[in-house]
Amino acid sequence: MRAIRLSFFHMLEVVKHDRMLAAALMSPVLAGTAIHFGVPFAEKMLIQVTGLPAVLTPYYGLFDIFFASLTPVMFCFIAAMVVLEEHDDHIDRYLFITGLGRNEYFVSRMLLPSLLAFLITVILLPVVKLTKLSGAEIVFLSLTGSLQGIIIALLIVTLSSNKLEGMAVTKLSSFIIFGAVVPFFVPAPIDLCAFFLPSFWMGKAVLERKPIVMMLSAFVAVMWILILKRKYERKM
Amino acid sequence: MIMVDHLSFSYTEKPFIQDMSFSVSEGEIFGFLGPSGAGKSTLQKILLGMLPNYQGSAVVNGTECKKHHPDFYESIGVDFEFSTMYEKLSARENLCFFSSLYHKQARPIDELLSVVGLENDADKRVSDYSKGMKSRLNFIKALLHDPALLFLDEPTSGLDPTNSRLMKDMILAEKNRGKTILLTTHNMQDATELCDRVAFIVGGQIFTLDSPHNLIMSRGAANVIYTWKENGEQTASCPLEQMSEDRQLQKLIAEKRLQSIHSSEPTLNDIFMEITGRTLV
Repeated sequence: MRAIRLSFFHMLEVVKHDRMLAAALMSPVLAGTAIHFGVPFAEKMLIQVTGLPAVLTPYYGLFDIFFASLTPVMFCFIAAMVVLEEHDDHIDRYLFITGLGRNEYFVSRMLLPSLLAFLITVILLPVVKLTKLSGAEIVFLSLTGSLQGIIIALLIVTLSSNKLEGMAVTKLSSFIIFGAVVPFFVPAPIDLCAFFLPSFWMGKAVLERKPIVMMLSAFVAVMWILILKRKYERKM
Repeated sequence: MIMVDHLSFSYTEKPFIQDMSFSVSEGEIFGFLGPSGAGKSTLQKILLGMLPNYQGSAVVNGTECKKHHPDFYESIGVDFEFSTMYEKLSARENLCFFSSLYHKQARPIDELLSVVGLENDADKRVSDYSKGMKSRLNFIKALLHDPALLFLDEPTSGLDPTNSRLMKDMILAEKNRGKTILLTTHNMQDATELCDRVAFIVGGQIFTLDSPHNLIMSRGAANVIYTWKENGEQTASCPLEQMSEDRQLQKLIAEKRLQSIHSSEPTLNDIFMEITGRTLV
């Protein structure tokens, strides 16, 4: 446990030396501020311009889902970049044969950033949210968002061989969070085409407010993680 | 310290390491010599517990490698051929982090840095280091937790003669401190100079295992080569033990016409080629 903690804090130290990654750490606060104040303001303007009773309001749930996904995506992206750098410089191979070890390395680079993102989302989402989310829904969205973060980090690490490729893969893999859009715009049962995306079930859960749908979202995310973890182990 | 018994391993269906057996005693420098792809790195990975799917037995410090527990690495230090440092961090920051991963009391970082002449560059980013400096830093990283067993992979590879000498002296100093050292190299000069025993590995098999001295002595006597001036420079040779019977040599000595004379033993490289039929490159 001590080695995991040291390794995790060391990762933060490495991030401190990389301006791009350090800046990415600030994104949840900036995005949260933009969503909380910017979206209702934009809605006000749109109503005035269009004369419609509501333009963005029916989709406020989507903004909540995106915010719940944002912190884990950014934190896990940062961790994935560090992992890729360590892989490029053969440092991971060295860490595996120290007091840290292979599994503990995975925990410090993939699970702890996601856990931290979960805690930050649980704290920030009640402040940022635009819809009336219950406590359980906030916890659920933060949890599935964090699992999604692990998926994106694993995709980045397994599909790219260096940091540059990693950034390209980040853009591509971040599309998995857009599955949340499907239940809002695609009628049932056609929307089920996106059943393999955890974010699809996040969208459905916010829209339909059914606990079983929340469970499905977590289940799909765990399946993704298990499959990608095997690919990760083969690569590392 | 290390006991390997009928060890076999394969990445695919084709066997890669085949029925290897050897042991390494405490305080010994043991060299694995072989060309690229011979199985040296794979063997090292097995002994480091990184490849658990092997057959036979590989015991390091009394622990079967495939069943190692977390503190297995407390007594093992590894110096890979390539730098394994955070380039954006300073040498000191790197060493502090790596030493923190062990439970054992770390050797003082400043002391280690001064042993390798890096005390004035301790706070410089590793990316600003030369290759020689990185090699020395990598080496002391393996010593941070004062391990009893050191794995060194091509420690002098790519170093200039001065840094290479420095590295070899540091290895010998660690041996004198009682460490057991496993050296993987294809530099025969280093092996002859450093190793108590060497194993020639080709195609995943050990072809021979002995001390460099015994290997050299077992492969024919040394020759004496001498030159003299007679219508240009002339050269002749004779076996060392028959020197006193070489009339021409005696005559040249008596007439003080000998220009040069030196003995030449077969090198470890010659012996490697003779035994394995391969070169080391």
